Amino acid sequence: MRELAELLNQLRDAGVIVNYALFGALAQMRYTEPVATVDADVLVGVPEPERLDALGEIYKFCAARGYRASGEGIQVGAWPVQFIPVFSALTREAMEKAATAEFEGLAMRVVRPEYLATIALSTGRAKDDQRILALLESGKVKRDAIAALAARHNLSAAWKRFEKRFLRD
Amino acid sequence: MTDAKKLLEKQARWQRSRKKLSWEEKIRIAEAVREDVAKWRAASAKHTSIKARGKRASRSRS
Repeated sequence: MRELAELLNQLRDAGVIVNYALFGALAQMRYTEPVATVDADVLVGVPEPERLDALGEIYKFCAARGYRASGEGIQVGAWPVQFIPVFSALTREAMEKAATAEFEGLAMRVVRPEYLATIALSTGRAKDDQRILALLESGKVKRDAIAALAARHNLSAAWKRFEKRFLRD
Repeated sequence: MTDAKKLLEKQARWQRSRKKLSWEEKIRIAEAVREDVAKWRAASAKHTSIKARGKRASRSRS
């Protein structure tokens, strides 16, 4: 993972990406009990998001440094890595407001728990419901924080449904 | 903004491909990343306890 932290910081310093933040299960594990994962998801902001091949420059940069493709992603050390360009106002904000964590002395940006929960709310699969519950249970995020973010991103109805289904007091 | 639908489809393809991996391969990957995950979790716990200590200290000062 040290290699991944180095690569992400290099991508940003070289201007290939504007910014990045870990999300998905790897980010979740920063806040909750460990969950099963076999890959690292990285939200990235790219300089030209309207380009059809928005990730092309990232792949080129990685290939030039000897990282090989692994399906739809790239293998970085032990980690299969999937780069996901920010795809909504919510994911952009999640990336921009990410926390900075430290891994073996290197800075690594990680999506904050309230954003992880709200992104999970926006996708709405069963595993996303589990993610929200795990984050709430960890105490790292409060219901109010999710409700406020959900309201700002037109997800209040989804949050109300979630509360009714899973959080009836 | 990049075409969100296309991206979600791509992500779904990726997730399907990960799901299809054999158990042997999944275990191999889990073993390969285990040490990193342990360090990642330990760093998180350390960060949380430092933050809690900081909060306690500022409460006792006020």
